[in-house]
Amino acid sequence: MTKNISSNCPYNTAVLFGVLLLTLGLTGCSDSPSDEEPNEMVLQSTLNTKIKSLDPISIRDVASSQVAYQIFETLYQYHFLKRPYEIEPLLAEGMPQISDDNMTYTIKIKKGVLFQDDACFPEGKGRELKSWDFVYAIKRIANIKNLSENWAYLDNKISGLDEFREYTKSCKSEEKIDYSREVEGLQTPDDYTLVIKLTKPWPQLVISTLTNAATSPVAEEAAVFYGKNIISHPVGTGPFKLKKWQKGSYIELVRNPNFRGELYPSEGESSDAEAGYLDDAGKPMPFIDKIVWTFIEESQPAWFLFLQGKLDAKAIPKDNWDEAMTGAGELTPKMKQLNIHLETFIEPSTFWLGFNMEDPVLGKNKPLRRAISYVINREKFIELFFGGRGLVAHGFVAPLLDSYDPDIKRYGYAEYNPEKARELLKEAREINGGDIPELKITLPGTETFYRQMGQLLRRYLNDVGINVEVECMDWPTYQEKVNTKSVQIFSAGVTAGTPDAEDFLAMFYSKKKSPGPNQFNYSNPEYDKLYEKIEVMPASEERIRLYRKMELMVLDDCPAAFMNHRLAYVLRHDWYKNYKPHVFGYGLGKYRRIDMRKRAAYKELLKTVK
Amino acid sequence: MIIYIIRRLLYTIPIVFGVLLLTFVLFTLVGGDISIEIAGKGASAATINEIRQEYGLNKPLFLSWDSQFVNHFKSALTFDFGRARDREPVIDKIKRGAGPSLALMVPIFVGTIIISVSLALIIAFLRGTVWDSLTVIICVAGMSIPYLSFILFGQYFLAYKWGLSPVFFSPDLSMAQYTALPILIGIVTGLGGEVRFYRTVMLDEMRSDYVRTAFAKGLSTRRVLFKHVLKNAMIPIITRVVLAIPFLFLGSLLLERFFGIPGLGYLMIEAIGSRDYFVINAMTYISAILFVIFNVITDICYAWVDPRVSFD
Repeated sequence: MTKNISSNCPYNTAVLFGVLLLTLGLTGCSDSPSDEEPNEMVLQSTLNTKIKSLDPISIRDVASSQVAYQIFETLYQYHFLKRPYEIEPLLAEGMPQISDDNMTYTIKIKKGVLFQDDACFPEGKGRELKSWDFVYAIKRIANIKNLSENWAYLDNKISGLDEFREYTKSCKSEEKIDYSREVEGLQTPDDYTLVIKLTKPWPQLVISTLTNAATSPVAEEAAVFYGKNIISHPVGTGPFKLKKWQKGSYIELVRNPNFRGELYPSEGESSDAEAGYLDDAGKPMPFIDKIVWTFIEESQPAWFLFLQGKLDAKAIPKDNWDEAMTGAGELTPKMKQLNIHLETFIEPSTFWLGFNMEDPVLGKNKPLRRAISYVINREKFIELFFGGRGLVAHGFVAPLLDSYDPDIKRYGYAEYNPEKARELLKEAREINGGDIPELKITLPGTETFYRQMGQLLRRYLNDVGINVEVECMDWPTYQEKVNTKSVQIFSAGVTAGTPDAEDFLAMFYSKKKSPGPNQFNYSNPEYDKLYEKIEVMPASEERIRLYRKMELMVLDDCPAAFMNHRLAYVLRHDWYKNYKPHVFGYGLGKYRRIDMRKRAAYKELLKTVK
Repeated sequence: MIIYIIRRLLYTIPIVFGVLLLTFVLFTLVGGDISIEIAGKGASAATINEIRQEYGLNKPLFLSWDSQFVNHFKSALTFDFGRARDREPVIDKIKRGAGPSLALMVPIFVGTIIISVSLALIIAFLRGTVWDSLTVIICVAGMSIPYLSFILFGQYFLAYKWGLSPVFFSPDLSMAQYTALPILIGIVTGLGGEVRFYRTVMLDEMRSDYVRTAFAKGLSTRRVLFKHVLKNAMIPIITRVVLAIPFLFLGSLLLERFFGIPGLGYLMIEAIGSRDYFVINAMTYISAILFVIFNVITDICYAWVDPRVSFD
């Protein structure tokens, strides 16, 4: 009997397992067939969040921007090599002519720029870029039917545009909207001139909005032809065009043959020549034929792919830190043997523990807020949670911004001083009329990182006699609580999109309280007056002085304990050229180059390294 | 039988209505106002209000023909789930994700059933022997090891170290190539619990009088096991198997994430993370419908495999 069974049923099972293992063997042993041309220069990259859309009106997140900026171009861009960061024309012929009252910008547009070939154009041939394409793009953002997140950039900024938005509300459908309806602040005297008239001076127009993919030109033909499906059919003027997008999986761009052949920059920082960043000076771009981004959210597979040479660069994942770096902050011998290079750079970001200034306990008790700030050991925090990859935030303006004060540490606002905290707490209790009730810290995640962060903060505060409850929650719930002012102490951060700190200062303007960017619900009439002054002030030494003055006002009022600025550690393979860190630019694919010989030799190198 | 099926299908109407009501209450009343997120960072209160109007969030909740609930109900019945937060039609997202999810989950499901039922039959027959004890120990160990560990170790050893499979999805790979390893992991992970369950079911049957009678009459082991024991064990097997089918539609979040399979598991989690109620609502509704349908199928199967179960 037993023989009977063992000779039949296990056979079925074994066959099944066998088939699976065989499939594994076959799939793994054979090198995957590739549709790449033998000498095709492909940039292999990764995205850790999905691309939401490739329609300029919806491009706001990092993942979409990384892709969209290779397809769409803006009027201006940040110079690839020069530091401090400089603005230069991209689709514009030169820098704008600005009227004396700083209200009118006249911009000449380059001639001969073509949209990529696409079915939306007659005979599929991309037509020449005209000034109207910019006007059309901006009007699409204003159109309420499009529900563009980018409207916040333009709200009440361009003369007549808010009226156009009102008009779109009265239209029953998208098709009924007349885009030729005049907007006073958007004029096209000829096909190559764009005039923008503002409602009030807006010094950030060029550096933030006209460098933003949201304002890239859109061909009306494409919007009409693809309708709502334009999110998946980008038609731009940039160096690359979309070849394939398997949503949620990967996206592939190829060279745009209509691209005009922009030249690689010939000037940069003094060290750029030595670093090899000027080797391609004056050569027409782009260098690579194809960019492939694979969507990988988990760090383990991304790390394995990087080590296998299937990704060209990778930020070091927290869990693989020891494999990549020694305790002395250098690459491990294994990384060096693999000819992997380390790039480190400061990110223009600031993270904080914010206080809701409308909270009855915290809002009126400055000594309490100061005490909480003094009780946090920021250096320890950075060491524990970021492996030392960060800088203590002594203020809120991030490094690399024009108005960042490198000596801000001297004011001591981020000092770790428990004794001073205890002194301040005595004062705080008097103001409160007794013991401080239990406070609540709200953290934007439920993973171990946030739970551990909560434990550390609780310990710091408990040490000086402040009781706290820590609540960790998912991001949407957290956002809802912050937006509705339902938090007491919360953790948040921001990364700058331009070298101008105006965005950072707007976070404390009382007219932008939650759900606006002022999540602290901070209100200081004197600060507001200064903000209204700098908001319309062109860049100058005086403006920097005012920025710094405003920062100190905030630091003194302490609506937040500013914690850290981030440092990025990125590994890149030896074959990945022209990889100069750039924190304000996304359209960098055109500068990159791959040394195909070195990439081909990597497989052999990998076999020699254990 | 037709009357029975019609009656059962009519029972589903209040269930589906209940699901619609529940999702509406959860996402509209408890979930809060999504217009702030849609408006984007730095949006003014006026913009937020405009968006609320555009999405119809300013309409009455229930008591009107144009209320939010009636619109929610209408869109569900017509399977017009609108557009997701990224403006892509929800139904397109679901259609796109269903293929990869099913390509992953169906082989896992079928493989797990075949292997676990076969093993359970053998182990039940070998009850009390060292093989039985060993299998139980392995099953318990398999159940105790977290799912994630199987994935991490499988990916590290089988894919990265030994190169038996690709580490991750790549555009130039066939679906068979990039799903083979996750399917193997999915099957191995599920075996512990499944074998244990089916072993218990088989043991109950093996102790029955009719099995002793069958062996006493001289029937072969194969005939007793496959003709009699397996058939009589079909009721719990059907219950477990058929009711698991609707969940195949939901995919596997972890396998999809670790191996880059663009399926519905990840779509659902991503929608929850970004409060994309349009997607969550559609997925919940479709899952509920599938569950109800497969419940009816289960009942029909009972009567089909067991003559003692009557449609009356």
